[in-house]
Amino acid sequence: MSTWELILQQGVNGLILGSFYALVALGYSMVYGIIKLLNFAHGDIYMTGAFVCLSVFGALSRFLSGWPAVACSIVAAMFLAAALGFLAQRFAYRPLLGAPRLSLLITAIGVSLVIYNTVMVITNSQPLFFSSGLDSSAGIKIGGLTVTYIQMVLLAVSALVMLGLSLFIGHTKTGRAMRAIALDQDTCRLMGINVNKVIGLTFMLGSALAAIAGGLACVYYGNVQYNMGYTIGIKAFTAAVIGGIGSIPGAMLGGLLLGLLEATGTQLLDSSWKDVFAFGILILMLIVRPNGLLGKTEIERM
Amino acid sequence: MSLMRIENLTMRFSGIVAVENLSFDIEEGSITSLIGPNGAGKTSAFNCMTGFYKATSGEILFDGKSLIGRKPHRITHMGIIRTFQNVRLFKNLTVLENVMSGAHSVSKQGVFGALLRHPAQRREEREILENAERLLDYVGILDKKDETAKNLSYGDQRRTEWARALAAKPRLLLLDEPAAGLNREEKDRLVELIRRFRKDFGITVFLIEHDMELVMKVSEKVIVINFGTKIAEGTPAEVQSNPLVIEAYLGMEEEA
Amino acid sequence: MIKAKEMMNSKWLGPGMLLGLLAAMLALPLFSNDYVLIVLWNGMFYALLALGLNIIVGYCGLCDLGYAAKFAIGAYTTGILMKSFGWNFWLTLPMVVLVSLLAAILVGAPTLKLRSDYLAIVTLGFAEIVRITARNLDITGSASGLNAIARPELFGLRLTKSIHWYYVFLVLVILFVFISHRVRSSRFGRALAYIREDEDAARAMGVNTTRYKLYAYMIGAVLGGVTGSFFAVRMTAISPQSFDFTQSANILLAVILGGMGKIPGVIAGAVFFAVFPEIFRDVPFIGDARMLFFGILLVVVMIVRPQGFWPERKRGALK
Repeated sequence: MSTWELILQQGVNGLILGSFYALVALGYSMVYGIIKLLNFAHGDIYMTGAFVCLSVFGALSRFLSGWPAVACSIVAAMFLAAALGFLAQRFAYRPLLGAPRLSLLITAIGVSLVIYNTVMVITNSQPLFFSSGLDSSAGIKIGGLTVTYIQMVLLAVSALVMLGLSLFIGHTKTGRAMRAIALDQDTCRLMGINVNKVIGLTFMLGSALAAIAGGLACVYYGNVQYNMGYTIGIKAFTAAVIGGIGSIPGAMLGGLLLGLLEATGTQLLDSSWKDVFAFGILILMLIVRPNGLLGKTEIERM
Repeated sequence: MSLMRIENLTMRFSGIVAVENLSFDIEEGSITSLIGPNGAGKTSAFNCMTGFYKATSGEILFDGKSLIGRKPHRITHMGIIRTFQNVRLFKNLTVLENVMSGAHSVSKQGVFGALLRHPAQRREEREILENAERLLDYVGILDKKDETAKNLSYGDQRRTEWARALAAKPRLLLLDEPAAGLNREEKDRLVELIRRFRKDFGITVFLIEHDMELVMKVSEKVIVINFGTKIAEGTPAEVQSNPLVIEAYLGMEEEA
Repeated sequence: MIKAKEMMNSKWLGPGMLLGLLAAMLALPLFSNDYVLIVLWNGMFYALLALGLNIIVGYCGLCDLGYAAKFAIGAYTTGILMKSFGWNFWLTLPMVVLVSLLAAILVGAPTLKLRSDYLAIVTLGFAEIVRITARNLDITGSASGLNAIARPELFGLRLTKSIHWYYVFLVLVILFVFISHRVRSSRFGRALAYIREDEDAARAMGVNTTRYKLYAYMIGAVLGGVTGSFFAVRMTAISPQSFDFTQSANILLAVILGGMGKIPGVIAGAVFFAVFPEIFRDVPFIGDARMLFFGILLVVVMIVRPQGFWPERKRGALK
């Protein structure tokens, strides 16, 4: 492979990784934007999505296979993750709205422990392997560069989902309500917006997006483990911070950027350092530009 | 002599002008008020004076020294103390601990003092404690010193906040809507109290308020702002007869 | 009568109970076997970590999700200095303090002025950086860690037996309690409490919040580092797995469930965390799922009793 092909190949890998980060980062950013909660359990929702996808795919194997089965499994995972997100919001976070942010954050850690350990006990701490039956090497070759069909579908799905979300947030009544609540919850309440309902919906939407990422990761990597949500959780948060937390396009940009940076970084450094690289970027970003690339600067307070 | 001078103060938030070209003086030893209808820019001006906002342009001088760019805690250390609109006590701490917080800016023991507890540290601790108790006695709630602040009645929370402010031995006391949530009788007592603060501690008092009646009773000088700019300044009598002020307040009442 | 009773309560009951407990702890090794001593040592070890983290979380209200890193830094500093450079254990302690302070400043100085939840994620990220670095470097022994770290000597006695370590850690617990108490009942400690309760009001009272947060963070880091050093020589072996997120989460849970900021509560929480798995180790299901229960417990506690399990103090606890 020539250097250029290598760079392009890493670029494709980076985009795939980046779209996972972006999909998870969106949920972080939406929830943070609306109730200022660092939803620590979000990575675990991603992990749950992957598990549900795998289980449903297995159950469907007698009737369906290939892409239709994958699609059905991911949709099922979305619904279950949305339900989980809603439950967490309804029973753990809602009673604490208005409480100190530390309490809310600690509750989120509690929710994370519950989901994580439930899956750990169910799977007996063992990784599960997933075979979609799809040809993982088939694809288009351009010179030395290979882009597989799976990769193309992954990128297309992520792009479509993000486009859909942007349209939803930008052009529907609910999307406007979400943005309004992020700005001023009390006023929204006075204006007759059902704030609790919109917050619940935000959680469901964010969780469903994480489940899409989980399902796609399951297809792409071929294995699922109870602790797979932890690292991606922190990295997606990193992505959200890079883009500017609370900003939807920011989360997408941040995710893709982090994916590309990590793919390039792995090329330069040994791959065992790739997480150090990502967290280094997080700390650097917070020092240099805490509001992120697309984040709004707050009123300057001293 | 002017203790604080505000010159051409302007505060903008992403295009919205909250305060524009505001200038006034606070005379040493006076009780001065800044009033205006809701949303007139009082709170923004107040936050600039206490360092919580950074003014877009203009100058704020305290005793000849500029406050622009100084952080809130530095401003407190210069002898300016503020209260909050809705009483911001440290809710889970005792009343005594709350009042002791006022002494933070006039004491200096740090980490090593805490660990070593040398004589200077012990002396300072004793002074902070005794002064806090004296002030609680002064505002009349010494018997509640060991209660958790959040369990106090609203009136007692206000008293705690005053004692806390006085513990800082300020030269200038800035009160943010001190009459909010008080009934008529309590407001009358507040007027008395503000005068007593000045007399007993020799401090200058500045308040922002939208309760006209209280302001007219207590102040020697009143500055009126509306839409971020000054529309009148003078004694309560002068201000009350100013047609611009009447219009601003009538306009507000019609809306309400 | 009532007055006398009150005096008994406030003045003598606390110290009396404390002395009694201390005497019991001192005498205990005379009546117990090694197993009990090891379990109790483990309890005290967690108590040290919880007391250190308590300065950051309980006193100052900062959320640190990477306390294991502070403890790792101490353990590895001691381990490396002893193994690669042949230092005496006791001489590594000042270095541990220094390295802990530097790490705390490096992480804390740029981030403590940001939104509080950013600190949570930065501490978490930093902890991962520390753990992965330890796993990747040769000097830290990569994935297998450092082993055969020498046992230190104290007054000519080589500390090898469980009973030695029981007493060493008991002394450390007393020292940490003493430090915590002194911090809490001082101008400095009150300033931390003001920051925890209401940062804006604290600033208005003249507290340099950024600096005080950094101080709290530094003290917490030093206590964690020192605990790590003693852990290294007690275990004689350390590896990256001892410092993962679960460890950080356990310590944080001990502080929060015990009641943030209350010394006896924090110790009780830590001992509970150390002893609980011992009791239920062989019970099927519960042993594996204990973190699941802790998770549920945590959510319930936050909603129902956010101040933790330790009872509210009745009187001003200033003196």
